[in-house]
Amino acid sequence: MAGQEREVVFKKETVSKLLMMFFKDDKSKVSNDTVILMAEMLRIFVIEATRRAIKQAENEDCVGVDLEHVEKILPQLLLDF
Amino acid sequence: MDEKEAYTQRLKAAVHYTVSKLCQSTAADCEKEMSRQAMAAIAETTFRQCEIFAQDLEAFARHAKRHTVTVDDVKLLARKSAALSSHIQQKSEEMAINNQELKEKRKKNATKRKTKEMEGNEGETET
Repeated sequence: MAGQEREVVFKKETVSKLLMMFFKDDKSKVSNDTVILMAEMLRIFVIEATRRAIKQAENEDCVGVDLEHVEKILPQLLLDF
Repeated sequence: MDEKEAYTQRLKAAVHYTVSKLCQSTAADCEKEMSRQAMAAIAETTFRQCEIFAQDLEAFARHAKRHTVTVDDVKLLARKSAALSSHIQQKSEEMAINNQELKEKRKKNATKRKTKEMEGNEGETET
């Protein structure tokens, strides 16, 4: 597997800035472990979306994964998270 | 307002970068190719989903009468799917063990340094 050589992860800085930006209350803070765990959550989300889109493309017997495949798997994906 | 928008765009670009790397490595595993639009769509979805995650986390922390979002809040966020929930649980346990080890190491190093310093001081007084 190619992914096991060096796992791609979201940068801690990016995740923490994202969370801070979306918080409505300025007083809200995040702990260091939370950021690492949230990076993992987002990674799983992206991989799950990609895998489902690939599966959809396979079912339709397409060579590449296109926008329409992502569109088709989107509703169920959002319900599952 | 304009500055805030630029900041949002920069963060979005950062998300897009990581998402396309993740997509490509996953697609390579399955021997498929992903179009740029498909990757952009997933990146945009991830960005919006992150907003939902953040608001949920904030609400959970507020419910527990805290201002800091902790690991427990993330565990609650992952409750909808059993597999994801157990994965996150495992990950957090791993992190807890790692943190403990780091702490112990630091403690050991600190005590070592102290004894060394004491020895050093003794040596100085002797000469």
